[in-house]
Amino acid sequence: MSSLAAPVVPRHLATPLADARAGLDACVHCGFCLQACPTYLALEDENDSPRGRLVLMRAALEGRVSLDDPDVATHLSRCLGCRGCESACPSGVPYGHLLEAAREQLSSTRPLPVVARLILWVFARPAVLRVALWFGRLARDSGIAAELARLPGRFGFPFAMLASTARESAPQWTPRRASVTRGTVATLDGCVMEGLFTGVNRATERVLAENGYSLCDAPGQQCCGALHVHAGDAATARTLAKANIAAFEASGAQFVASNSAGCGAMMKEYGQLLADDSAWRERARAFSAKVRDASELLAAAGPRPGAPLPGEITYDAPCHLEHAQKLSAPPLQVLAAIPALRHTVLDDREQCCGSAGIFNLIEPNVSERVLAAKMRCITATGAPVVATGNPGCLMQIGAGLVREGRGAVARHPVELLDASYARQER
Amino acid sequence: MSLAASLRAIVGDTHVLDRPAELLVYESDGLPGYQRTPSVAVFPGTADEALAVVRTLARAGVPFVPRGAGTGLSGGALADGAVLLGLNRLKRIIAIDPVRRVARVEPGVVNVTLTKAATPFGLHYAPDPSSQTACTIGGNLAENAGGPHCLKYGVTLNHVVAAKVALPDGTVVELDSDDGGYDLLGAFVGSEGCFGVALELTVKLTPNPERIVTLLADFTSIDDAAQTVSAIIAAGILPAALEMMDQATVGAVEASIYAAGYPTDAAAVLLVEVDGATVGLDDDVQGVDGICRAHGARDVRIATEPAARARLWQGRKKAFGAMGRLAPHLVVQDAVVPRTKLPALLARIAAIGDENQVRVCNVFHAGDGNLHPNIPYNANDRDEAARVHVAMRQIMQACIDAGGTITGEHGVGLDKLPYMDALFTPDTLDGMCRLRDVFDPLRRANPGKVVPVRYCRERRPATATTDGGRRTDDR
Amino acid sequence: MTLRPDSVAELAAFISDAASARRALRLVGRGTWLDADEAVRDAEPLALTAFDGVIEYEPGDLTITVGAATTLAELDAVTAAHHQWCPLAPWGGDTGSVGATISTATSGPFSHALGLPRDLVLGLECVDGTGKVLRPGGRVVKNVAGFDLVRLMTGAWGTLGAITRVSLRLRARPAADETWHLPLDATRADEVQQELRRSMTPPIACELVREDQLSGAIADGLLVRLAGNAAVVAAGRADLQRRADARAADGALWTTLREHAPSRVPRRPRSPAVQALNREVKHAFDPAGVLNPGILQ
Repeated sequence: MSSLAAPVVPRHLATPLADARAGLDACVHCGFCLQACPTYLALEDENDSPRGRLVLMRAALEGRVSLDDPDVATHLSRCLGCRGCESACPSGVPYGHLLEAAREQLSSTRPLPVVARLILWVFARPAVLRVALWFGRLARDSGIAAELARLPGRFGFPFAMLASTARESAPQWTPRRASVTRGTVATLDGCVMEGLFTGVNRATERVLAENGYSLCDAPGQQCCGALHVHAGDAATARTLAKANIAAFEASGAQFVASNSAGCGAMMKEYGQLLADDSAWRERARAFSAKVRDASELLAAAGPRPGAPLPGEITYDAPCHLEHAQKLSAPPLQVLAAIPALRHTVLDDREQCCGSAGIFNLIEPNVSERVLAAKMRCITATGAPVVATGNPGCLMQIGAGLVREGRGAVARHPVELLDASYARQER
Repeated sequence: MSLAASLRAIVGDTHVLDRPAELLVYESDGLPGYQRTPSVAVFPGTADEALAVVRTLARAGVPFVPRGAGTGLSGGALADGAVLLGLNRLKRIIAIDPVRRVARVEPGVVNVTLTKAATPFGLHYAPDPSSQTACTIGGNLAENAGGPHCLKYGVTLNHVVAAKVALPDGTVVELDSDDGGYDLLGAFVGSEGCFGVALELTVKLTPNPERIVTLLADFTSIDDAAQTVSAIIAAGILPAALEMMDQATVGAVEASIYAAGYPTDAAAVLLVEVDGATVGLDDDVQGVDGICRAHGARDVRIATEPAARARLWQGRKKAFGAMGRLAPHLVVQDAVVPRTKLPALLARIAAIGDENQVRVCNVFHAGDGNLHPNIPYNANDRDEAARVHVAMRQIMQACIDAGGTITGEHGVGLDKLPYMDALFTPDTLDGMCRLRDVFDPLRRANPGKVVPVRYCRERRPATATTDGGRRTDDR
Repeated sequence: MTLRPDSVAELAAFISDAASARRALRLVGRGTWLDADEAVRDAEPLALTAFDGVIEYEPGDLTITVGAATTLAELDAVTAAHHQWCPLAPWGGDTGSVGATISTATSGPFSHALGLPRDLVLGLECVDGTGKVLRPGGRVVKNVAGFDLVRLMTGAWGTLGAITRVSLRLRARPAADETWHLPLDATRADEVQQELRRSMTPPIACELVREDQLSGAIADGLLVRLAGNAAVVAAGRADLQRRADARAADGALWTTLREHAPSRVPRRPRSPAVQALNREVKHAFDPAGVLNPGILQ
């Protein structure tokens, strides 16, 4: 039967995708990924599913289509990169890496949209980024963002995202002196976290300290590079990774903690990112081994229960925790340490919210449909607070809640634990 | 107006694909060894749109192939130059009637989604193919799909109560198990998309059992495991499921993310599930436990908690995918033999594997005698591909010789066509063609599937069509 | 005069000749449902009595293949020897044939719990109205090879083909098996029947009985059959006793009940579109219209 023989694959020059060939071959076309894919559920076309995109990648590799064919490029760029499919895949197809490889290859012939290039350019330049975020905070704190959020469609949405990052003044309390020390930790500030969620970063430091970790500084750290890798700009990401490895090595910390799921997932993959760089390979591996999500460190410590914080929440799992880092339990353990906080389980909580880094800015239509499905589930819970541990998700869901207008908010699990600790007698 | 343009007028621009790059993914279903390119792919969003599409195709005299989620394992949803009619967007659960215990659904509803929707009523949809998280009820209907639990609860045929069907000529008929006349609903179930398109299905919902216990028995001999299967059934215990996995399969599962804690050094493991009312269930559990041990089981693990049970099942349900790890390509087979022939057949399959130097992984519904011998291989190795082909033919012939059949639940599609005449006489195959011609005299629906074309002799369209009766719809 | 073919080949020749001559045939198995439809009376009888007896029975497979003229009583006796049974047990008693039961798709008291004829038949052999021998299905319990002529022939009332052999699914006889009678008025009996059928341990049979129907054998109420392992049956018994003044009854009553049931009558489809499809099916398998003419048409 001729069907059993595969076409002979021309061995192109080594390209990122050709290097990832083994991962493509693992796909048996079973289709289990379809229902785990937010863009397939929203767009109902298999070209917008993991199985479909893998077929396109394979076809490109076999020379049947060109990777920069507009159809191929469209479906590859519409992927959120949430990696929900990896959790559903019985064959262990490394979808995230394949996507990054395809996008890297694609970016050499087909430039990203202007918006995307601008954002990536800014994120790679700390000084420019600081200015941009300063303007962001100004727009938010002056109330302009909230006003502009009323604009319909894609114009208002970024402002709703910005408006959703507003916080009332953070609780002030001092962590108790730990009786045991669980190790030294340097935290990644994170571009968006430090710029727009400054309070959450301080809260993270407090709750880590309260749970027995000693904090140390890591000056010189930069953007983690996740946005760049996802968009196919691996070169910039490698430069940023090296800067971060050096900065955290200098800090001497045992752990590198991140409260941003996307940044944490990226840093855990530096080993892979720099695998072909003989000068950095070992350092990158050693660095990645030290990276922890903040919730992992807290879960390892218990975490220590706080004071009752009566209320209702629901929890949405950030894709880069749930699927990329395979961390389902730790954030729930963080929330469980808060007495009197009732948790209503969110339907499809492992599904992406449509944020996906800068996806919501460059593919607003698809992102909006994915968010709509998420919002239906959130609304059904009736919870006034949605907990989720990633800046992109906080802003995407936050914007959805701003627009929904019932007054519900998105909060980082660590913020909630911080509020619970703040209520304790000291 | 071109056909694509007419279709776009019905379903909208974004739901008609005709550019080569966008049709690539629709070249295969769940059996990627086959690739056939459709001319156009169309995805209606409502039953009315689907009917309008069928009628447009009828007027144009164009062949078409219905497709659900494309998870089928017989190449049944391949459209070679035909129009691919995707039904995955028809995913509405129209109604659930917890009193009559039935649900009305559109064909694109995903199997497990229906169960999820029925859960608040203490009900579920019983047929549970391993692909249940992805496959559609409409696809299940077309293939008469089974699954591990059909040992006790029956296959799709036993759970479909009625179907509203668009015949290939665009006539709408309501096929109902309660209706008089011939059992056309029974004939439609499992017709692999050759008799028309189900626009709406009424299916039975089954009460959730009060208690479920899953047992995992491991054996150092595959023959002992096979003997145990017959012994359990002979003892009058009807397990909800009785599954077997051999060492190669266990190895693949344990290496995947769905590692279930199966013992990798066992020659075979049996996964037995008993369910039902709490009362009396422990007697069955002890019965199964005792029979397994009496037949040489090294250990029997008993799981009652949902998480522990789910873990034992996870590996079984994802076994096909896990085999993807073993080699770049995989052939999936689906044969049935009388249960008492299992030990001999498994020995024969092992011998065939050795003779042809291919690695056969067995994972199957042992209680039904429904074998799934799968062979992971590298299609780029022409010599290996040829050996796999020979081994497959020999395995299928061995199953036929043992009084079995060539497919228990995957359907014939394209993949099993070469075995049909080893199983059925030319007159029987001709009879099947005559039945198809009643539903689709022009043979436009899923052409070239199920029965080899040479057995479908040219015949004049049935004279009864001249009475014009078919022009009347049922709605 | 009655035609009595001795072999499938001879049967095929008879039917083929009849089709050429457009001579109507009336299929006769054990002759128990002959009067089900007046229309076939004038046709020439074609007796299928030669297709009798067990053809293949491997108890470990829980399947059996029998000639179509095998009586239900014989099927029961053969399987009972291996502690098995076939839950066909159709309305009408045990003198009828397996072939007729499948041809007419006649259900019985166990059908609700254990399956209708269409759920129990695995494969068959028949000769269609053109004299062709068809052997669809098989003798394994799961089979989706080819278009389903088995379901088509099941309940076709012999209008598409003369069934000569049938493969059936069997069950192990339950460890415990008890029959109980619940004297109840009609309304209450109806309610209890619904409740029992929906319970977690439904009985394998649960039928409304009327005193006059059973020639006074038992009073109005419900006849219930409990089967399964000892614990399940004990729980079912306790449940019955809670609901009514349940009394142990003789299992033979089921046969009596079946024998007193009215014969099944063929029904035509409701809608014109399905009727048209039925006519085309008839035309495809019996173009000369010689098999049991008039029925279902």
